[in-house]
Amino acid sequence: MKIWVIAEKKDGALRRVTKELAAKAASLGEVTVIEVTGERVSGAAAAAALAERAKADAPDLILAGATPSGRDVAARLAAKLSRAYLSECTDLAIEGGAIEATRGMYAGKVRARVRAQLPAVASVRPNAFPLAEGGAEPQVTSIPAGDSPGLAFVRFEPTGSGGGRISLSEARVIVSGGRGLKGPEAWTQVEALADVLGAALGASRAVTDAGWRPNEEQVGQTGKTVTPDLYIALGISGAIQHLAGMTSSKVIVAVNKDPDADIFKVADYGIVGDVFEFLPAFTDAVKQAKAGA
Amino acid sequence: MRFLICIKQVPDSTTRVKVAADGTSVVTDGVTWSISPYDEYAIELALEHKDTAADTVVSVISVGGPRTKDALRQALAMGCDDATLVTGEGADALGPLGIANALKSAIDDLGPDLVLCGKQASDDDQGFVGPALAEALGWPHVAVVTKFAPSAEGTEIFKEVEGGHEVWKASGPAVLTVQKSAKEPRYPSLPGIMKAKKKEIPERPVTGIADPVKLEIVKLEPPPARGGGKIFKDGDTKAYAAELAKLLRDEAKVL
Ligand SMILES: Cc1cc2nc3c(=O)[nH]c(=O)nc-3n(C[C@H](O)[C@H](O)[C@H](O)COP(=O)(O)OP(=O)(O)OC[C@H]3O[C@@H](n4cnc5c(N)ncnc54)[C@H](O)[C@@H]3O)c2cc1C
Ligand SMILES: Nc1ncnc2c1ncn2[C@@H]1O[C@H](COP(=O)(O)O)[C@@H](O)[C@H]1O
Repeated sequence: MKIWVIAEKKDGALRRVTKELAAKAASLGEVTVIEVTGERVSGAAAAAALAERAKADAPDLILAGATPSGRDVAARLAAKLSRAYLSECTDLAIEGGAIEATRGMYAGKVRARVRAQLPAVASVRPNAFPLAEGGAEPQVTSIPAGDSPGLAFVRFEPTGSGGGRISLSEARVIVSGGRGLKGPEAWTQVEALADVLGAALGASRAVTDAGWRPNEEQVGQTGKTVTPDLYIALGISGAIQHLAGMTSSKVIVAVNKDPDADIFKVADYGIVGDVFEFLPAFTDAVKQAKAGA
Repeated sequence: MRFLICIKQVPDSTTRVKVAADGTSVVTDGVTWSISPYDEYAIELALEHKDTAADTVVSVISVGGPRTKDALRQALAMGCDDATLVTGEGADALGPLGIANALKSAIDDLGPDLVLCGKQASDDDQGFVGPALAEALGWPHVAVVTKFAPSAEGTEIFKEVEGGHEVWKASGPAVLTVQKSAKEPRYPSLPGIMKAKKKEIPERPVTGIADPVKLEIVKLEPPPARGGGKIFKDGDTKAYAAELAKLLRDEAKVL
């Protein structure tokens, strides 16, 4: 079994999801972690380079992190190679020349076990597999990006918020706010909590639609699907479209003043109360708990 | 400028999806069908362009069975100019590359300047057809697009990435896979609905389309049941907050 892991880097270092996949792949066969180098490489240009190499190398399975760019490259590459593509897998196994994977369908409302003959391409959610014991850095093979005729990078426009924070899809802790927070000002307190937790920020659609927070923070059916260890929902009612994006989190905490809010139906811990009383008290309590008090 | 939007008909987002007795499909009885949400955002982006540039033509296309016509009519009622249905025996069972190939063959005839797809369809959640269609056409694609601006020298395309947007320029035709954008998709107007009813929806056959890969569904299940959590109520929120921090550290072990 030859397995490729398509490497993704952030600020020069391998992303955690790449290392998770390298560790998983090592348990299945012979691994090559492969990076496409270049500035602002388009999905098509990365796929072109990888496809060229795959012709010679013939990997049985190609894995990428299910990040926006990982999914972009993996899908185009699978099409180029005319292979099956399994996206956003949360578990996978190889059995009798086929890959069998677990993935969400219907915006996360159904869990599917799917199967495809090898060779195949799959993108895998961050946080699906543990890092290698000892944490040795995998070796990385670099190849230059190919061409994507007809498409050129022009510029980058920063959003201005959330800079320096961990990305939603990779975060192990997420603090997410809803309309119950009343307005954008409340995020000073939400961010204070997120800082103490080392968390990413999420939001309901009511919040992104109102422009209190950028779209990229939206969790749910038309936002991100997330699977952190801890998801804290503040002033979020728990509409089915929101739940679709976060019910696979390991531990869910909900704070809402309405005891009948649907969010409590999926919560492991819930507090019926005022989020503005909760926030400063909880932020302090987390600080103390982390300090061992 | 001619836009073509590829739309898929899926269960409406409020549907409580249930697994059927066979364990490999979902119950479709009583389901309300709708255009996949990201495809609606794609339609809205194109119609916004049409609102400002009158010579714009916005077309929609879908691959599927007879029921798919309803989705196309819904798009016409929103203000799209024309619709094409790719259908026939097996249209519902095509795999992602088969759908991409069927769309490509229609696009070769329709000749749009820009093709828009959803970032992913809300039934299979794959995000495969858009890039696969670009590959079949030999066009570039840009994923997770939230807006675009066509001009004489090409189209500026805004791609959502961590911390902001990358702006790309396509000098010729391209496939964009659309993310939720700033404006909510418009509702069909009453005159729009009346007009849509009268429009002919031409059909193209799916026969002879190559469909090289299949994804077999082994089993569908509802996500693991949740609930039965510890809910604190009728007490001092601040005291609960302190207790919660300890529980998260010592019991759930997530701090
Ligand atoms: C096609 C489609 C796609 C959608 N996609 C998404 C999606 O991706 N993500 C998403 O989130 N939604 C999505 N929605 C919208 C969804 O249906 C809900 O409208 C939305 O999730 C509601 O957001 P909310 O919970 O913040 O607001 P609300 O439903 O208004 O809830 C606010 C909550 O705050 C509580 N509250 C108020 N004040 C306080 C206080 N002081 N202390 C504590 N609690 C308080 C209230 O009790 C209430 O439960 C989608 C809808 C459609 C139709
Ligand atoms: N049967 C179809 N007919 C037309 N367009 C489709 C079809 N299936 C998928 N698409 C397009 O491809 C996008 C991604 O779909 P998917 O790869 O299935 O997640 C959708 O949002 C649509 O724009």
